[in-house]
Amino acid sequence: MIVEKIFNKWILFFLFLIPVLGFIFEEPYYITLTTKVVILGIAGIGLNLALGYCGLISFGHAAFFGLGGYVTGILSFHALNSELIFSWPFVTSGSSEMLVIWPIVILSSAFLALIIGLLSLRTTGVYFIMITLAFAQMLYFFAISWPNYGGEDGLSIYMRNSLPIINTMDPLTFYFICLCWLLIVIFISAKLINSSFGMAFQAIKQNEERVKSVGIETFKVKLLVFVISGTITGLAGSLYTDLNRFISPSVLNWQMSGEIMVFVILGGIARLYGPLVGAAFFIVLEQTLGGYTENWQFWLGLILILEILYVRTGILSLFEKKFKYEK
Amino acid sequence: MKNKILNIKNLSKSYGAFKVTDEITIDLHFDEIHALIGPNGAGKSTLIKQIVGSVKHDIGSIILDQEDITDLSDVERAKIGISRTFQVSSIIPQFSAIDNIVLSLLDKSRKTFQMFKSIRNNKELYSNANKILKEIELFEKRDISASDLSHGDRRKLEVGLALAMDPKVFLFDEPMAGLDESGTNMMINLFKKIKSNSPILLIEHDMDAVFALADRVSVINYGKIVATGTVDEIRRNELVRDVYLGYEI
Repeated sequence: MIVEKIFNKWILFFLFLIPVLGFIFEEPYYITLTTKVVILGIAGIGLNLALGYCGLISFGHAAFFGLGGYVTGILSFHALNSELIFSWPFVTSGSSEMLVIWPIVILSSAFLALIIGLLSLRTTGVYFIMITLAFAQMLYFFAISWPNYGGEDGLSIYMRNSLPIINTMDPLTFYFICLCWLLIVIFISAKLINSSFGMAFQAIKQNEERVKSVGIETFKVKLLVFVISGTITGLAGSLYTDLNRFISPSVLNWQMSGEIMVFVILGGIARLYGPLVGAAFFIVLEQTLGGYTENWQFWLGLILILEILYVRTGILSLFEKKFKYEK
Repeated sequence: MKNKILNIKNLSKSYGAFKVTDEITIDLHFDEIHALIGPNGAGKSTLIKQIVGSVKHDIGSIILDQEDITDLSDVERAKIGISRTFQVSSIIPQFSAIDNIVLSLLDKSRKTFQMFKSIRNNKELYSNANKILKEIELFEKRDISASDLSHGDRRKLEVGLALAMDPKVFLFDEPMAGLDESGTNMMINLFKKIKSNSPILLIEHDMDAVFALADRVSVINYGKIVATGTVDEIRRNELVRDVYLGYEI
């Protein structure tokens, strides 16, 4: 674990270094790319709590990512057009303030995760995978057929949402906002994993029947993990919309769920920094191999197969030096 | 007459035409060890599963400490005081021995949903876990991953998990299977000590251990209780010798 911890510190160092170098050498492209890594990393860390630590193989986290994105897009769209979202039963206007948008995104993602969790956690195994996938696909088709917000073409918001005093349109500034969120999410996840609650949900992954037999309400534990996981991924969706100033139904599609899962598997299941490393690796592959061939995912698939066959526990495990019986 | 802490009446379970348990009526008194013996496939483990609620029964009732728990879920039954071991060791393999015990202490100490305090800093939980590990003679191996423990040590850990819950009754399913002589003796002494706090319903194939421990013995065959009595009564029972013991004792 010690080598992995050192490697994690290097990851954070590079997350500071690369955008700063991009700024110094006037290469905003690299700042945007690193911002994307950070945002997708947050989404992956969210999924990793459910999938990696609790064994909940959700194939529908695009629902939360997309919901976070659409809530941000819709609030911003109405604020920029000075239109009301609802006039009944109470007057609701849009907002382009991140400090308003983030709490709404967090609450709406948590609520959606609660609803999906209440229904899907009554199942296990392949049924759980299918039911989470079905929920996300329902939202995807709903977004496609909702013309008010662009339908299949998506929704552009032109101006990035704002924070007091700070110029969020500056790529480096927006990057550091995302990095702050990443650090907050890592901090919260680390606290959870090392807590009594974390002990319970990590035990559920290994032997749920035993956990039940010691009087722990596994359904409640799993539901809470699922809600926290969905909320974090929803927040990432909000930042993603602000990064691109655009949201479309594609972020609700099953492919998005698959990509978030790939970040987790590539980097390392049940490793705190795993999804971040996985997202970085994914983006680097996309940018390098994508320059040579449109079908770069073929190589991604090949790498995934090799990893699962020979490394199994992700890229980070290559930097692991676990001492036996180390706590 | 002694008070009954666990009272099971007419508990039945069928899979199609096959009756796994057939109107089983059995009870457990305060301060006693009640052994349940019988051939493989007789329905002993299924009965345990029905009592803990992991297998739903077809008919019958279960009363624990004068409370009808028949319709409670498995988790609710564990919460109100039924603690079990499994026939095949069921532990958290990637947790250390001490973390397995701490997990078992969580519900009782109402710490399951504590989210932002490090569990490792909870000295009270770890101190209690250490005491239990000493009782089951696993203290020296407390930091070893449960998956790396020997079979015998896993059986001890199973019992430790049950002890940590401080339940009203213990249901032990072959806790001494695969233990060496010293391990078996340790278990016998431990069970004698704990039965005054929480009586034990014990399934065990080691007849020496059963006869050394049990205050009463019930014999189950083809899902039916065929005899109940003291150790001496059971030893003398011809029907029991026919269906299970098969020899003169």
